[in-house]
Amino acid sequence: MNCQECVDRLERFVDRELSTSEVEEIKQHLDDCPPCAERYQFETSLKRLVKVCCEQETAPPVLREKLRQILF
Amino acid sequence: MAETPPLNRGGGPPAPPLAFAEEAMSHLDTLYRGALRLTRNPDRAEDLVQDTYVRALRYQHSYQPGTNMKAWLFAIMRNLFWDRFKGGRPEDLSLDDDSSDFALYDRIKDESAIPEDQVLDRLAAHEVVEAVEKLPPLHREVVLLVDVEGFSYKDAAEVLGVPIGTVMSRLHRARQQLQRTLYDYALESGIVGAKDRAAS
Repeated sequence: MNCQECVDRLERFVDRELSTSEVEEIKQHLDDCPPCAERYQFETSLKRLVKVCCEQETAPPVLREKLRQILF
Repeated sequence: MAETPPLNRGGGPPAPPLAFAEEAMSHLDTLYRGALRLTRNPDRAEDLVQDTYVRALRYQHSYQPGTNMKAWLFAIMRNLFWDRFKGGRPEDLSLDDDSSDFALYDRIKDESAIPEDQVLDRLAAHEVVEAVEKLPPLHREVVLLVDVEGFSYKDAAEVLGVPIGTVMSRLHRARQQLQRTLYDYALESGIVGAKDRAAS
């Protein structure tokens, strides 16, 4: 696998959407290629950042109570 | 909207009401955050979540216990969102396609005096949320499902009612837009664009 092939598959790799054999190929390339490994780290950090930042709020207690009355 | 939620139809006995209600309630915070991102308005988000649960209760017979309730609830909420707040089916919309490639990593590498990961550390949480909320709804919802909620492409495709390939292409374009916005924030706040000045 060359760098371009790695970059093309990186998004699906970060999303855990590649087949087992593709995962092995990418891991091998990342082990041998520091620049691609650095890019991979960045993409992973960015995905985690989006998740963490969008998971701050909790449902208002009033809404929770209203739904309890509806559901139970 | 269609009267039957799209996931987990047919087969299997209905969930016992109490177990159904408890499991549904366990997804409340997640649903509320999703509703906030979709509507960008706390009052509308509350309304959307409440309507989602009312509909879920009405159609609980179509939920198959042991399957992905979060995905099932999101599908209901997403359909309600498009019906209530967007006035139509998203399938009818076309996306403005800014097809020029953009990779935040490359821009930071070229232009920032500080390492890439530190640039991400310096972005404020509210800027990241704003960047997500600036996405067009069709892009926002796929980022919400895959990046925030951790849905597989397959589950996201079922929630959105589109082929997996569409999830992948929307996600790719959404991430490019998101990265472009984050780059703009980083520029405005002086996080990037300092390499030339540092060198001079």
